[in-house]
Amino acid sequence: MKLDDRIEAVASAAASYPWLGDLTAESILRWIKLELGRFLHEANPQEYGHHHCLVQALSPILHVVSGNTPHAALQSLIRGIVVGAQNWMKLPEGGLPEVDEFSLKLPAALRPELADHLNQSWLQDAEAIVVFGTDETIHQFSRRLLPTQRLLAHGHKISFGLIRIPFDRNVVNGAALDVFVFDQLGCLSPQLYYVAGDSVGFASLLATRLEELCRTTAVTTVREYEIASALRSCREEWKYRAATEPGVRVWESPGTLEWVVIHDPAPCLVPNPLYRTIFIKPMPSDLGSVLAPIRRHISTVGLHPVDRDSVELATRLGAQRVCQIGQMQNPPLTWHHDGWPTLASLVRYVDIEGWGASD
Amino acid sequence: MIVSLEAEILSFLSEPLEDQFEPLALRIFDYQRRENLPYARYCKFLGTPQRVGSWKKIPGVPQQAFKRSELRSFPVGRTRAEFRTSGTTGEGHGKHLFLSLRLYEAAVQRGWDFFGLPRQSFILLMQHPDDAPFSSLCRMGGILADFRRECFLVTQNGCFELDRLRESFIDRERPLTLFGTALSFLNLFEQAPDLQVEMPPGSIIMETGGFKGSGRDMQKNELYELFSRHLGIATDSIWNEYGMTELSSQFYSNGINRPHRAPPWMKFLIIDPNTNQEAVPGEVGLLRIVDLANLWSVLAVQTQDLALARPDGGFLLLGRDPGALPRGCSRAMDELLQLARN
Repeated sequence: MKLDDRIEAVASAAASYPWLGDLTAESILRWIKLELGRFLHEANPQEYGHHHCLVQALSPILHVVSGNTPHAALQSLIRGIVVGAQNWMKLPEGGLPEVDEFSLKLPAALRPELADHLNQSWLQDAEAIVVFGTDETIHQFSRRLLPTQRLLAHGHKISFGLIRIPFDRNVVNGAALDVFVFDQLGCLSPQLYYVAGDSVGFASLLATRLEELCRTTAVTTVREYEIASALRSCREEWKYRAATEPGVRVWESPGTLEWVVIHDPAPCLVPNPLYRTIFIKPMPSDLGSVLAPIRRHISTVGLHPVDRDSVELATRLGAQRVCQIGQMQNPPLTWHHDGWPTLASLVRYVDIEGWGASD
Repeated sequence: MIVSLEAEILSFLSEPLEDQFEPLALRIFDYQRRENLPYARYCKFLGTPQRVGSWKKIPGVPQQAFKRSELRSFPVGRTRAEFRTSGTTGEGHGKHLFLSLRLYEAAVQRGWDFFGLPRQSFILLMQHPDDAPFSSLCRMGGILADFRRECFLVTQNGCFELDRLRESFIDRERPLTLFGTALSFLNLFEQAPDLQVEMPPGSIIMETGGFKGSGRDMQKNELYELFSRHLGIATDSIWNEYGMTELSSQFYSNGINRPHRAPPWMKFLIIDPNTNQEAVPGEVGLLRIVDLANLWSVLAVQTQDLALARPDGGFLLLGRDPGALPRGCSRAMDELLQLARN
């Protein structure tokens, strides 16, 4: 199928999924142009420096996706379709209904093959393997691949926010949204905020905003007992600490496990069971050493403000992406997911020297 | 006041009267709330009224609190004993402080007797309490075995005395009580794969604890198969002790998939984690324990263990695997912190 038809098909299918972001035909074209210029459009070699170049999709692509992340699964599939690859997808046990539904909205020629078990021939025959999962999962796959197969590994990540100057209501509202969506289970979901200045005030306002969001949006109020017990245990421990340790404060959804905001004056990183559990900490002077244990696992750093100093700081800390507070969950189509170009990583370049010399 | 309350609890342990449990629990609560400053602050934080009216309303202190505070219901400087949690989660040790071990000793002895457990010929897969002074389990073993060194088969350096263990099985007439952690049994079977004996009739095995922090895991039925293979003992003769450093008394169960039961001076509640209120019967929830023998710290402890109440008055322990919590693609901070600590 031609590129324009693929783009139209993807844009049409994606129209039913607003949470996939800006996926119109125009935006997809801009994305392709940004990463691959005219390469995908033209069958003829294109000028590239002092020589010419063609690109070919790595195909087939095997996408190995994990549970609870249909967003990432569909993004990966869309990238494969756009570059023109044949796509295979290994779904988690129990499947991902969003992927099934999306596939059915595509023309038959573009539909991926789906399975909830790993087809061994897929692993042998794929030219590229995109894996979402734990370190262990990624390690397992990497050991089974040939060096000639391209592995694109998306491990689990930690995101957080830095509020470096006095905040206003927009910052609080943005932070609440970043925590609120996807049950805080995304790799772009903040697990904590470091706040310069009135960190207790920020925590208190954030709590108020989270409660407002829960009252105006349909949310899960009763959790399955294993999740609920982890949330309850975390909450009760921090309430004990709030009662006995100076500076620790807890704001929680009354009578439910919908959200909890915990102010902890200690800068150190702490375990977070997620599901709208957010820690607020005063900005430490030695952020680099505090965050050293997670340096290689940082995804997004939400910033206030997004200025040169803050961006340099976040980059030094290991951020793959920085954005305004409130936009942490909305990466642009053109973002470099985990630090590399999303389309250009799924093609191979064929360099052609002497093109036209014999004309 | 302290002495008389301790004496009353000791008396209850000797001659438990069901209708006396609640009044005694409430008196202990009043006392602890007065004398135990961190607990008093916690109760105040929760808005607990001065008179709670029922043992079920006594606030349970989170188990983790023992790592954060000295939960001591007696004056500083009068600590006579200290037990420490293993610290396997990397957050440091929890401390359980005692003004006296009289209640602890009585609870161990009376609890063992309450369940009709045999006291003869102990073989303890643990260190002598002199070599592990902060271990509540080793102290428990010492109390049961009258602190006789020959009963302890783990050296000061933590090695099994395998020859002595094999010798213990020579006399086929003398029933044995073999007591250790599940992890110690697993290590034993790995170090002595050729161990294959028939424990004498009337013998029991008491296993306790899980595999937390060891990087090991094994289902109970697999462990009990190992007992059968190496020690020739039937599942019905294997017991499990469910206790913790933060408590003074223990629950016991017998065989596989049978409920744990409490001695008369302990009660439990199943807490619905969604509401933090008592769960409706038949629902899984977090186990909260009230132990009258915990006079010197806090009598009500909120655990992180999941359990299901049984109509016969016991509970089925379901355990919990925090690593199994669905986290999407968000990385667990504790996993990285643990790596950094290592």
